[in-house]
Amino acid sequence: MLRVPLHKALSLPNLRQLSPALRGISSTPVQLEKIEVFVDDKPVLVEPGTTVLQAAAMVGVEIPRFCYHERLAVAGNCRMCLVEVEKSPKPVAACAMPVMKGWRIKTNSDMTKKAREGVMEFLLVNHPLDCPICDQGGECDLQDQSMAFGSDRSRFTDIQFDGKRAVEDKDVGPLIKTVMTRCIHCTRCIRFASEVAGVDDLGTTGRGSDMQIGTYVEKFFLSELSGNVIDLCPVGALTSKPYAFTARPWETRKTESVDVMDALGSNIVVATRTGEVLRILPRLNEDVNEEWLSDKSRFACDGLKRQRLVAPMLKNENGELTAVEWEDALIGVAKALLRAGGQSAAVAGGLADAEALIALKDLLNKLGSEALCTEHTFPQDGSGTDLRSSYLLNNKIAGVEDADLILLIGTNPRYEAPLLNARIRKTWIHKECDVALLGPKVDLSYDYEHLGDDTTTLKKLASGQHPFNKKLSSAKKPMIILGGQQFGRQDAAAILAAVQQLSQSLSSSNSDKEWKILNVLQQVASQVAALDIGYKPGVSAIREDPPKVLFLLGADEGTITRADLPKDCFVVYLGHHGDQGASMADAILPGATYTEKQGTYVSTEGRTQQTLAAVTPPGMARVDWKIIRALSEVLGESLPYDDLNGVRQRLTEVAPHLTRYGSAENANYFAQAVELSKTVKAQLASTPLDVKLKELQDFFMTDAISRASPTMAKCVQAVLKQKTSKY
Amino acid sequence: MAGNVVRPGSLADKFQRLKRIVDQSGGWKGFLLRAARIDEVKEGKLVGVDKFGNKYYENPMYFLGRNRWVEYSERYGYDYDGSQIPAEWYGWMHYKTDRLPSEDPTRPKYKWIKDHEENPSGTEKAYVPYSTTRPKIEAWKPPKA
Amino acid sequence: MATVKAASVVTRQVRPILSLTQEDSRRRVLALYKAWYRQIPHIVSEIDIPKNQKQCQEKLREEFLKHKDVKDIRVIDMLIIKGQMELKETVTKWKQVGHVMAYWKDTVNKKPTDFLGKFLDGKD
Repeated sequence: MLRVPLHKALSLPNLRQLSPALRGISSTPVQLEKIEVFVDDKPVLVEPGTTVLQAAAMVGVEIPRFCYHERLAVAGNCRMCLVEVEKSPKPVAACAMPVMKGWRIKTNSDMTKKAREGVMEFLLVNHPLDCPICDQGGECDLQDQSMAFGSDRSRFTDIQFDGKRAVEDKDVGPLIKTVMTRCIHCTRCIRFASEVAGVDDLGTTGRGSDMQIGTYVEKFFLSELSGNVIDLCPVGALTSKPYAFTARPWETRKTESVDVMDALGSNIVVATRTGEVLRILPRLNEDVNEEWLSDKSRFACDGLKRQRLVAPMLKNENGELTAVEWEDALIGVAKALLRAGGQSAAVAGGLADAEALIALKDLLNKLGSEALCTEHTFPQDGSGTDLRSSYLLNNKIAGVEDADLILLIGTNPRYEAPLLNARIRKTWIHKECDVALLGPKVDLSYDYEHLGDDTTTLKKLASGQHPFNKKLSSAKKPMIILGGQQFGRQDAAAILAAVQQLSQSLSSSNSDKEWKILNVLQQVASQVAALDIGYKPGVSAIREDPPKVLFLLGADEGTITRADLPKDCFVVYLGHHGDQGASMADAILPGATYTEKQGTYVSTEGRTQQTLAAVTPPGMARVDWKIIRALSEVLGESLPYDDLNGVRQRLTEVAPHLTRYGSAENANYFAQAVELSKTVKAQLASTPLDVKLKELQDFFMTDAISRASPTMAKCVQAVLKQKTSKY
Repeated sequence: MAGNVVRPGSLADKFQRLKRIVDQSGGWKGFLLRAARIDEVKEGKLVGVDKFGNKYYENPMYFLGRNRWVEYSERYGYDYDGSQIPAEWYGWMHYKTDRLPSEDPTRPKYKWIKDHEENPSGTEKAYVPYSTTRPKIEAWKPPKA
Repeated sequence: MATVKAASVVTRQVRPILSLTQEDSRRRVLALYKAWYRQIPHIVSEIDIPKNQKQCQEKLREEFLKHKDVKDIRVIDMLIIKGQMELKETVTKWKQVGHVMAYWKDTVNKKPTDFLGKFLDGKD
């Protein structure tokens, strides 16, 4: 099904390795002369090899299509894009036909119109008339195009009453609902699955009117990117199962926002109606997620409605959490803080926004405490978090596409950041790019060279003694991606130092000075912002010096438990879901989720983006930074900002890039970081590198929101069920 | 009395009626209490008493609509209202029938008929409408300590 | 100088609503005030509101003084027209008791303006 470069398909050694000189020649683009074509008599100069459809798009003429998709291979089987070309006896399929010099393309001629009408008629002959009960209604390509290009009357008279073609529905899992009778066989889903997701589960059987899309055998279509086929399907054959029969697209209010389920900061659109998040769709951003979205980001939104904290709570004399008014809760927490004096601390979780982070930091600093930590650790030896380059995905997500060698160390990007993995796969398929992995052997959906999971390999790599070093140094644009999870190890500092030294030795010999080799893939959305603001990574400081009041800002990973704290420690949980953090709290201040607040998040590549409030926080929940601001007033230590602009001004004071929305601030001082890393005394431990998310079932429930989501739970069940199936 | 006929509507008639009413009320004290409690004192024939102690009177001398009335049981005190009249007396009170409940053989009398209850509006037993739809947001319930 | 000239051109081009001059608008305001003032005894006797003449007069004064700093003639004119409409609605009893009592708004809670008040109210 999939067109893989020949050398990969036959697993031949790469041309590059045979002759580096050859590659130098082939990589210089040959300047070919542009050719002129005319689209509806408008002249346009295009590169040779451009298709008719692309040439038409250049002059702003949209040719209707079903099977063609910019990001997928050309199939050319729907025939909707037929256009007339002058002096051609038959209409040509615009999506597959490269233009020739001097062609006159007519996208609006009688022949074109008739061709489209005919195609529409054939498609509709076997398409059910169930638009009123179809979930795609209102956003259906077939609906729209039959209105625009179809015939205004029907020749369909079913005199024999033998009915339209009907196909049995498939059960492909808990996320995708199939109504296969509606399928028009555009094969977009098949191409997506095999090209982008890297799962060759979907395919066709039969020919002609017996053609069917399916999984060949009875199995689920399970992938971390499977939800995207819903968006791709031009008709209602593949629709969202959790969203089935919920709303029409014109009824929903759309809010552009940013996803926080992983550290990539995928751009999303939150569709809401009557104060409820109904579904989440991807939003186009070429630099981050293109137009894809991972299943967790897309389907975990029903977790926003369950296990919510809707009222402030305090422990009563029986030691039970009971709902109280805001006044009482704030006064209760303030009393505890005053009693504690300066002995307070905070742990920030993975979903915290920069506004809440800065407000909490300012408050605790005012009270005389510096113990503000994040849940995820980072080695403090060497340069620590002082140099931003040490904890960013410096080369950016889009930068992956230029890489020719990617070394993954201690990470499984497929489940830690599915869209980054999709990029790597895209590069691996379409460009001359090799991937190597140092860490546990996992299925990355593409072939890679496995270097084992031993730390000695890393040592050898850093000192340049490993056979793979040759490949690394011969690569023009190598990228090293270090999984943020490895910072949780005892020898994290040594690992980081080794990777930094390896990257530095490569970049000093690299001709492209802008090319960044060292990349760190963070685990959670809040980490970069927290480190930028000045939080200490890791909770060891709190373990060593237990505070009297501990703030948990959405910290639900269980890095600090009751056992780590003295008996009289007062734990305040500020967050939106009742999870680990809330169960150990003495006071609960209900906050807002990312769909309910305007919050700043910095992605792992250092890109500052903001979420917008799509719905209001439920019950008595409030926006997080406002809770902290109100608490500061009750304490008599008012923070100097009253509104969002004020907080953002404060953010700008701390780090100007935190309010430059949409742009990714570059980091530098790589060499200095390496110099400092040489002071690291720690030695690499012998325990092999490991990752938490190894298989698909580990992927779905990783944070407070996805753990509360029934859909995600169903996904895990489905994966486990699939495991027991014989296919 | 037979000897001196009193002309209806005359002053003497009014005084006589007042005296009858006072007598029926059990003296001046009862008369005043009654006036205070039900704002109106009338003479009439006691036609029946229901099981709650409400007394039903009739006096065709008064105009239709005012000639049947109830004197609520003492136990209600000043807190009486129309819903304390049980169903069997309701018809007679509202002129749906002229037959008293005791005179009407067609009335069903089953063992399972429940006692009459007064309208519970304004009390704790009052009906309060409630939603049957599921809440949009499910709140977290803290674990029991 | 040029800007002043330009501004005067602009002001001249604006079409007046009722009044041509400041004096004109002042006269209209006073006329409206007097009209209200004379109607107050009738309003008090005709409409069943728990307010006496004095309270109504105070309210009238208060409502007018609310806009004492308005200088734009066109805005004043708009307010005059609105005031006339209110007067007519009151005197002809298109307004009911509740509408008239809305001038006092005794039952409306004041919106909090400080941060903590707004936070506890849950409103921005």
